[in-house]
Amino acid sequence: MNRKRLSVCLAALLAVGTLFSGCGKEDDGGTPVGGADDRPVVKVGFMGPLTGGNASEGSAARNGFTMAFDQLNESGELPYYVEVVAMDDGSKPETATSAVQRLVTTDGIVAISGHWNSPAATATIPICKSNNIPLVIWGAIGESLTSAENYPIITRVCPTDRQENVTLAKYVLEDLGYKNIYIISDTTSYGQSNTQAFQEQMKKYDANLIGIDEVPDTQNDFRAILSKVKQAKPDAIFFGGVSMGGGLVKSQMVDAGMDDILLFGISGICSEDYIIAAGAENAEGTFSIKPGTDPTKTEVGQKFLADYEAKNYSVPVGAFTPYSYDAAQVIIQAMKDCEGEITAEKMIEKIAAVKANGLLGETQFDEIGQTTNPASYALVVQDGKWVPWEDSLYATGERTLPGRK
Amino acid sequence: MELLGNGSFLIEQLMNAIMLGCIYTLVAVGFSLFFGVLDVVVFCSGDIAVFGTFSLMGAYMIFETAGLTAMLPTPVWMMLLMGVAAILCAALGVFTYLSSIRPFEKSSSLMPLLSTIALGVVIRETIGLFFPLGRNPQRFPRLIPSGSFGGHALLSYRNVTIICVTFLVLLAVFFFLRKSKMGNAMQAMAQNKRLAAIAGINIRSVAITTFVLGGLLLSVAGFLIGAYYGTVRFDNGSLYGIKGFSAAVVGGLSNVYGAIIGGMLLAFIEVFVSILPGGAAYASAVAFIAVVIFMVAKPEGILGEKTVEKV
Repeated sequence: MNRKRLSVCLAALLAVGTLFSGCGKEDDGGTPVGGADDRPVVKVGFMGPLTGGNASEGSAARNGFTMAFDQLNESGELPYYVEVVAMDDGSKPETATSAVQRLVTTDGIVAISGHWNSPAATATIPICKSNNIPLVIWGAIGESLTSAENYPIITRVCPTDRQENVTLAKYVLEDLGYKNIYIISDTTSYGQSNTQAFQEQMKKYDANLIGIDEVPDTQNDFRAILSKVKQAKPDAIFFGGVSMGGGLVKSQMVDAGMDDILLFGISGICSEDYIIAAGAENAEGTFSIKPGTDPTKTEVGQKFLADYEAKNYSVPVGAFTPYSYDAAQVIIQAMKDCEGEITAEKMIEKIAAVKANGLLGETQFDEIGQTTNPASYALVVQDGKWVPWEDSLYATGERTLPGRK
Repeated sequence: MELLGNGSFLIEQLMNAIMLGCIYTLVAVGFSLFFGVLDVVVFCSGDIAVFGTFSLMGAYMIFETAGLTAMLPTPVWMMLLMGVAAILCAALGVFTYLSSIRPFEKSSSLMPLLSTIALGVVIRETIGLFFPLGRNPQRFPRLIPSGSFGGHALLSYRNVTIICVTFLVLLAVFFFLRKSKMGNAMQAMAQNKRLAAIAGINIRSVAITTFVLGGLLLSVAGFLIGAYYGTVRFDNGSLYGIKGFSAAVVGGLSNVYGAIIGGMLLAFIEVFVSILPGGAAYASAVAFIAVVIFMVAKPEGILGEKTVEKV
């Protein structure tokens, strides 16, 4: 075979490889329905994991975000047509960087909402700052993302990991009375900041730390660790990671016969993916919290769920979908507050001073751009579904959480 | 702490290591087989295995919708299921050879290395794109009934099946290599390609057979991965690829028997580092350091032959 054909073959293979790996590619699902009418167009950007292991969370958030603007465009409340440009950050800083660079160079972009993963947000924040485009974070919960230096360009509608761990610790260590805790988390920044934040809370409630294990987030095999945990006899395992790892831990706990130990964690595991990864029967009795308020309990929440349902999206509402929807509400309110021409500079000021009503009540930002509304509520897996704690058979006493004395 | 006896800590960890070792071994044997016969590192071996897992899940979904699982007795549809996955993996093995190895026969050995890495990405992303909700974690159907022999948790049907299947598959590979004419031809080619060709061995058909055999082996590895973890994700292949490759290197890359020792060794290191307090974070790192030490101190691997290059 001649050399030329060889190199063509190789080049083609590599080209296909890079094509499929999806670097910052634009997502087709993000284009708004209806198309632009005769109103002038302004654009808002959306970034989130639309591919990779967290794709379902990111796609649901994208749907919620786009839906808010579809509703706005249909209502005609604004003399502008708002177009959503959705980009994939692949949960990775490098993909996020190329996505944000595409967005800030797109004509007519006045605001961006982004990220479920803190490392991705860390990568895009400096780019938004240097281009003076406001970024409303919808789902990345790393503590340091909002700060005095990043204010007012960077704001966040969801609680930080610290805020979430405070609520979780109160539920598990105080209300449910667990005392002996083993921590398993992944070695990502998410896992480590969880471990740290939860340990601080454990000191506050005087709980005993039985042991800590951190594993790479690609790890599938937790059996060796779990055998060790079984020997240490904790009442509960705090899992500081996301769905796939959490689900594997839970199903391997069941295999190892650890039925008397509770598995709990913050919202990273509070998703359908967790139940799939663990297997519905194994997931039973997992305890977690979700940021926000239970949408099924409020009128706006029920309307949101019905609207989402009506759109027939392929992914169900995720833990952070209400936040991406509320990030959209913040941007929409700020657009209305602009009263006239909408520019990125005006939006920075208006977003920072916003008072927006959304699914989770009123969102306002404090002096570092963090939401002042840190609401979270508890859920437990019951018969293969995440059920709000108060509605569950566990709260009424018909079932008992594993390891509860 | 009770260390010995049934259900005790040490025995449990030993079992964990053996199970992990079985999976690493099968992937490692795949690597050694390819390297031994053709002198190429087929980096997408892990992805072929995970492709096998997804083929099983896909076939199961189709079987279930078609009502085959209800119609046919369990052993029959199980065999059919395995058959489908085995055929698909063997086909993917042959495709790997034709697309990423044969075109580079006469070029540097770096070429197939690169092209199989690229093919690995293609396989992974194809699963992610075309399997229903392929990028989310997927639950593997319960093909092995739950329960255990004599009520011992360690002797669950699943654990025993995994060990037996691994053992039988390896036995079959050895008999094939030792006793069959094609197996002998493969060994001849592993020892000296040019001489094998002169002796009248059809190099092409031996190469294709190697990839069919490798594909079959990796489909079994895929079944074990699914059955053991119960959950897989489209991108798990790269992990098994690296672990399997390391195991093969430790054992002696061209030696199929060495791959077993390497796979078990790597699994034992990982498990026993994990059980030290806080050790889990270092398990993979220590295992890979061990690989580096082997590469420096005994580059030919535990059972590899020393190659002397004449200048």
